[in-house]
Amino acid sequence: MDDKSASTGDRKLSCNDVSKCFQLLESILDGENIPNSQEALKEKLAKCEPCFKHFHLEQAIRDVLKTKCTKQAVPPELEANIRQIIQEKK
Amino acid sequence: MSEVQRKKYTEQEKNNIFGQEFMPNIDSMYNFAYRLTFDEDDAKDLVQDTYLKAFRFINSFEQGTNAKAWLFRILKNSFINDYRKKSKQPAKIDYQEVETYYNSDDVDYTSTTDLRVDAVKDMLGDEISNALNSLAVDFRTVIILCDLEGFTYEEMAKILDIPIGTVRSRLHRARNLLKDQLRSYASTMGYQTDDEE
Repeated sequence: MDDKSASTGDRKLSCNDVSKCFQLLESILDGENIPNSQEALKEKLAKCEPCFKHFHLEQAIRDVLKTKCTKQAVPPELEANIRQIIQEKK
Repeated sequence: MSEVQRKKYTEQEKNNIFGQEFMPNIDSMYNFAYRLTFDEDDAKDLVQDTYLKAFRFINSFEQGTNAKAWLFRILKNSFINDYRKKSKQPAKIDYQEVETYYNSDDVDYTSTTDLRVDAVKDMLGDEISNALNSLAVDFRTVIILCDLEGFTYEEMAKILDIPIGTVRSRLHRARNLLKDQLRSYASTMGYQTDDEE
């Protein structure tokens, strides 16, 4: 990925508008429709160390939630039960 | 909702909507219900009640809108109205009230990065699930809706009947609480946190 090649030395070590940056990053991570989000993201990650760290941790958390949370199998009779009750009520 | 008579679907249309738009969501619905109740029988009852209500009020569903979001809203309301009341759990703080009190659309975005990305990536499914399950229900719910089910902020606002600003701030808090949980798992797994450096 391009942003990984950017050296840490080039990034600002502190961000003077953390709230605004983090809000933007989180909206992008959550898939909200942000105009020019990819450009904005690239620029932030290349320029700002706190944003870079925050972004990758937040992304990792979303990824593990999405992929690793245990899922329950739907009880096989549930759908049939629901359909049956609705039929009876008609 | 106004009592104006909405257009009525024919029996055939109702069956089509129910079968093609509602039923395919049963997997997500059951998992949401289970993550709210932590009990198989309660989750089954909750999903069943939700589908029965959905069928009864099918005329207020607008075809072409997001059926899954509509169903989730019914499920969440049923949970609050029916299940939370009868559960024997001791009363918990109502976070919505707390948030309103503190006018919480202002969120503290102070960076807490002493949790490592590689530690998070190495977590086991059970650890992630347990961390999520340990959150109070209002915080757990926003993470389920956003990260597990992929709803947008706007859809979440409708499902939960709260403003988008509150969705954002609650999500941010929920993820911070989750990070605290994950951080304690990480330290028991022997991962160094930045604190220890």
